[in-house]
Amino acid sequence: MSIETKLFFSGVFVFFPVGLIYGLWSRWEAVGTTGLFLTGGLAAMVGGYLWLTARRIDPRPEDDPQAHISEAAGDQGFFSPWSWWPLPLALSAFVIFFGVAVAWWVTYIGAAMAAVSLVGFAFEHYRGRFAH
Amino acid sequence: MSSETAVPTAVGHATVNRPNMTSVGTIVWLSSELMFFAGLFAMYFTIRAAAPGLWAEDAPLLDGQFAAINTGILVSSSVTCQLGVFAAERFQPHRLGGHLNVARWGMVEWYVVTFVMGSMFIAGQVWEYATLVSEGITISSTAYGSVFYLATGFHGLHVTGGLIAFCVIIARAFAARRFGHHEATAAIVTSYYWHFVDVVWVGLFFVIYIIR
Repeated sequence: MSIETKLFFSGVFVFFPVGLIYGLWSRWEAVGTTGLFLTGGLAAMVGGYLWLTARRIDPRPEDDPQAHISEAAGDQGFFSPWSWWPLPLALSAFVIFFGVAVAWWVTYIGAAMAAVSLVGFAFEHYRGRFAH
Repeated sequence: MSSETAVPTAVGHATVNRPNMTSVGTIVWLSSELMFFAGLFAMYFTIRAAAPGLWAEDAPLLDGQFAAINTGILVSSSVTCQLGVFAAERFQPHRLGGHLNVARWGMVEWYVVTFVMGSMFIAGQVWEYATLVSEGITISSTAYGSVFYLATGFHGLHVTGGLIAFCVIIARAFAARRFGHHEATAAIVTSYYWHFVDVVWVGLFFVIYIIR
């Protein structure tokens, strides 16, 4: 994971110094200084997390130029085989924001739809065929 | 396709220990959330620089002591949330001892405490909003009111979203016949979100109530 870590964490060495220079130059103008330091935080968050993860996991075949395809076999993660729930969930999000733009009562209908879709989505693998 | 199983099956050969895609994805999403709040901070500072008179007039109405107590509740809820994560990492959803035997609590007990503390924070914020509205600061009264309610309100919506997530995680612990990696991962990424929202609040508290 060292390539990913370097890629994301390198932003820290750009945005923090630039934020510092910008802050000194502009006599600590608040908007840009905060923005630049938080952008550094964005890089530090992803880079730092990848660094911590890389220390915990085994060396990956992806990082080894001599690796074979077969070494990457095995569990890649959890993926739902198929699911209809994202569709009603997205539709409820649409109705909620449509309601904000058009009329508030539409939002309440969207919220009710979202409650049903969210529960359906979150508990899909706990009932019926997928119960575990 | 319908013959596929959602439960990962054991494979016959050694596999590499991979980064959890859900956790990495959550962190990437949270870093974009950080930039969302960066936009809110930028809005706050821009209007503060443009209209310092409004701050001199409205900011003293804020109850810093009340907000500090509320902040303390939210920060403590991160601690209880993390204790719930430790239980989830042991794959222990429920308590093994009595109700008051805190050392043997499972994830559900800690997450219920976290949920209650998060609800107290939201209740405190509703109280604070009601007090400020009664003192004449509304979202449309002045630019100060607008940025105050937008910044703290978006944060409050995030906390509310986290509370809903805690309900789902707790309900899943009851729904699962066996509390496994699937449940633990969801519990852990919810804690990432909660800690993130907590850190953002500390930033907002510092900017809005301490610096004023």
